[in-house]
Amino acid sequence: MKHRLMTHMVAYYPDGASSVKVAAAMIDGGSTYLEIQFPFSDPTSDGPAIQTACTQALENGFKVRLGFELVSSIRAISDIPIFIMCYGNTLLYSGVEAFIDRCAQQGVQGLIVPDLPFDYDEGLFRLSEKHGMSAVPVVAPTIGPQRLESILRTEPRFLYAALRKGITGKITEIGDDNIGFLRRISTAAGKKEIRILAGFGISHREQIDLLATHVHASIVGSAFVRTIIENGGKGVYAAVKHKMEELI
Amino acid sequence: MVWTQIHEPHRNEEKQVKGIYNDYFGDFGGRYVAEILRTPLDELERAWRESMDSDAYRSELQDLLVSYAGRPTPLLFAQNATRSCGGAQIFIKLEGLANTGAHKINNALGQALLAKRMGKGRIIAETGAGQHGVATAAACAKLGLKCRVYMGEIDIRRQRPNVFWMELFGAEVVPVVSGSKTLKDAINEALRDWAGSSTSTHYLIGSALGPSPYPDMVREFQSVIGREVEEEMRRLGLEVEALIACVGGGSNAIGFFAPFLGREKPRLVGVEAGGRGSGTGEHAARMGGFGTPGIVHGYKSLFLLDDDGQVGKTHSISAGLDYPGIGPQLASLGREGRIEFTRASDDESLAAVRFFASHEGLIFALESAHAGAAALEMAPEMPENRAIIVHMSGRGDKDLFILAKQLAGKGWRDFLLQEGREDEA
Ligand SMILES: Cc1ncc(COP(=O)(O)O)c(C=O)c1O
Repeated sequence: MKHRLMTHMVAYYPDGASSVKVAAAMIDGGSTYLEIQFPFSDPTSDGPAIQTACTQALENGFKVRLGFELVSSIRAISDIPIFIMCYGNTLLYSGVEAFIDRCAQQGVQGLIVPDLPFDYDEGLFRLSEKHGMSAVPVVAPTIGPQRLESILRTEPRFLYAALRKGITGKITEIGDDNIGFLRRISTAAGKKEIRILAGFGISHREQIDLLATHVHASIVGSAFVRTIIENGGKGVYAAVKHKMEELI
Repeated sequence: MVWTQIHEPHRNEEKQVKGIYNDYFGDFGGRYVAEILRTPLDELERAWRESMDSDAYRSELQDLLVSYAGRPTPLLFAQNATRSCGGAQIFIKLEGLANTGAHKINNALGQALLAKRMGKGRIIAETGAGQHGVATAAACAKLGLKCRVYMGEIDIRRQRPNVFWMELFGAEVVPVVSGSKTLKDAINEALRDWAGSSTSTHYLIGSALGPSPYPDMVREFQSVIGREVEEEMRRLGLEVEALIACVGGGSNAIGFFAPFLGREKPRLVGVEAGGRGSGTGEHAARMGGFGTPGIVHGYKSLFLLDDDGQVGKTHSISAGLDYPGIGPQLASLGREGRIEFTRASDDESLAAVRFFASHEGLIFALESAHAGAAALEMAPEMPENRAIIVHMSGRGDKDLFILAKQLAGKGWRDFLLQEGREDEA
């Protein structure tokens, strides 16, 4: 059985043209959802790999406008559901509703904005719904039952479960702790139809095997950045495609 | 000298000063953090509120502020400076005389003690000029806590003496090489550390910024400065026209201004880094039309952003003032007009260091010298029966290398080269 994956890439990394190839490799490799990160100068939730990618993407001339152009070139080759991940400042600077409207026009399915939680969201959740998109709340293992309950009560279509503390990148061991956390979410969600996406530190097939029965899809991000750094010389498409085959 | 009770929470009814727990200040503030940081922030807020009501905590902090930090710090009548400027009487709040050389110790002690109460044995901090790092490292040495300080590589070079002191106090200083390699990047690294370590670690933020409750908490710890000044004003019967402080993130300014925020007088003047010009990347002035509303480091405020919403480049001769954002309460009070903002350039600040050294025998930190420069400009415009109070938030020992390079020239350079040669031999 093939796994459902949400594959993460940084727009304009390793450069503008190559990031279309990265997306194509993920799509051809069988990805279910594409998560495109719009780089920000100060990505505080990200570890060294994604930080490096963001810095390089900005040096490559990434602009929000070009990020949307990238989305539309990917749209031209595939109808894969696309999620945009970015930091709150990017929305605020464009105007929250203007940004969301732009996403909706490009056929983006959802937004993941880690520093806009539901109770400090600048209208993200309401406006996403208004424009027919899903804002994806992020939960972490430290979350208390009441707060988890408040998030689930909003009945999000997707929920992003960060599998451990810390930032992106470092390998996560899948064990009782994070499986217990995923069970806790499922139990709390009850009959609500919430698709759980789980990520942070997923880079090997074995981890995805262990997660598969507990989640709707596993998220893989930093691992692709590392793949590009290590093997990108031979061509990013081949490198990313190869990694996809290994994971799926 | 009289001296005021510390941590008598000032409950002021007026608009900006709703009390000590605000979260938002007008449009600014908030707690815009990834979920993983939410639990520690909620916990911190609870623990802080509880400690503010605890007599044991308050008296322990008070003892430390007196016997360890050296409070109260003096208010000096700068007679020679006044005579030379002509005009308003210039007074200087000598906060730089506090142990470790700046106002930062007030906040470091308050938070370190709080961390201890919370059972957190490890402290992390960011630092720009290194003064907050030194204060934190000292507080940790004193209270028996482990300490790690994140500091941008560029700041390490600019403020090398403070790195030495931090390490001597037993702290680990971690160079930050990402982004602009200055204060903002050190905050990023500290936030990343905390996301993984919060169970055992307290993040001791050094300025009145970051997600709530930090802006409220840091202001309260620093407001001891303002209360001492208020007491002295009353004792000396001063007709104070203006209080003047430099503004990096804003902790020394908000602490100095705190008791006066809900009143109409005196004028409150915040001085930002004018750097070497008003072009992009040449300064760090966020007020006066340069800053744009943004969300960075967990709070909403005015930030220096580029034309695509990325955090912009800044410049200042002083490592403590080149931060691209400003504490949310200051931004809000600036918008409302309660606080006026002005700028002092690198050169004006250097000239102010020189002026106060030769006229008053004081070495202003380069940060504080920005306030000094503004005072020198304002005093001559005012009548002699009025007073202005400048906040010398820190002293300039840490700036020896920058100052000597700028002011002593070749002699200093020869000395360094000779020292280097002798060291090698
Ligand atoms: C002496 C001194 N004054 C002022 C500042 C600026 O910080 P804030 O605006 O938080 O007082 C610093 C920061 O390092 C400092 O060392």
